[in-house]
Amino acid sequence: MNKAIRVILDILIVVASLAFLIFLVVVTNSIKYARSQKEEDPVENTMSSFEYELEHKSYGEIVDDYHSKRLGDFEAPEGMEDLYRVADYAHTAFMSRVYEAKGDAEKIASNATKLKEQREQLGSYQYAADEVDEIIKSAP
Amino acid sequence: MVCKKCKHEIGPTELKCPHCGADNEFAQKHLQNMNKFEGGFEKTEKEVIKSAKKTEGLAKRAIILVSIIAACIVLVIIDSLCYKDFDDDKRKNEMSDEEYVADAKDLLKQGEYMDFAIKYSTASLDLSSDEWNDLKHVRYVANDYGSCIRYMERMILRSTDPDYFDALDYDIESFCRNLDGFYEVLNVQKEAEKNEEYLTYIEDMDSEIRAAMKTYFSMDDAALEDFLSLSEAQKGVKVEEVLRHE
Repeated sequence: MNKAIRVILDILIVVASLAFLIFLVVVTNSIKYARSQKEEDPVENTMSSFEYELEHKSYGEIVDDYHSKRLGDFEAPEGMEDLYRVADYAHTAFMSRVYEAKGDAEKIASNATKLKEQREQLGSYQYAADEVDEIIKSAP
Repeated sequence: MVCKKCKHEIGPTELKCPHCGADNEFAQKHLQNMNKFEGGFEKTEKEVIKSAKKTEGLAKRAIILVSIIAACIVLVIIDSLCYKDFDDDKRKNEMSDEEYVADAKDLLKQGEYMDFAIKYSTASLDLSSDEWNDLKHVRYVANDYGSCIRYMERMILRSTDPDYFDALDYDIESFCRNLDGFYEVLNVQKEAEKNEEYLTYIEDMDSEIRAAMKTYFSMDDAALEDFLSLSEAQKGVKVEEVLRHE
């Protein structure tokens, strides 16, 4: 009986040791990740990705980043205003053709006003609005 | 002590009187008792050693096991602390439950389904009111509506730069999977939704997804119905044909 308990305890010790080693690796990576998050500036990272995507006219990625960011920060965090403005415009422009196809006169009108206001707020990124318009117009 | 026979002084351990040779009953009884107790002691000693041998190492093993489990628990706590900032929903304390519900209804009234999906379809904002609970069917549909629109935007507004990473295949696959998911959820939630106003929003989201597909995949009503009847893989092939102009 006691021998059986001893064997069971030995097995449990081996299993617990393995689990401990796995946790140790996971925690080491988590600590590294947490440190890297502290060292890196999230705004700078996001905006450098944004500039790169803008350079390659990857507005799909920009809008997708924007939607992901808005899950946590619905309003633009400090330093990310340009990303939010360009992406907002791209999303509104995308939806404008959807409302036209749907035949929703009210939404078409409100969306057109919104699009105009958003374009005015783009400042030095006006060219992005032109590029988005061109892509939307020529799609698919 | 005194010898019972000759009355001379004798020691308590002397078995016989050194003067008359008479037996010392007390010393003999004492010797018998000592022998008896010694036997009992040996027996007990053997039993204790035997029992100790049986349980030898059990306590040590138990202590090692408990220590390792405790160390694992500490590691899990450290791990969760590393991600603490990301798990917290920043919005939780910004408004009251009633204000959140009012804002959500306002977005639905304005037809801003994407904003509604982004703000309110996720499970992280767990509010506890009947009005919030009533919105659950719309929220489930909005969640899939949001995913479909996001993947369509990724596909339509993708970069055509040959030097840029082409994720179109992945986006098409994800869109088709989400589209099938959207219609599965839509059919279930439409059945479950009893509120006429909310049902209108659900149907409106369906209209927008259909309008988006008709516009950006160049389809008329009949082609769209055919497209929707296809399997997920067939839909993918069809979308790829349209978007890659094959």
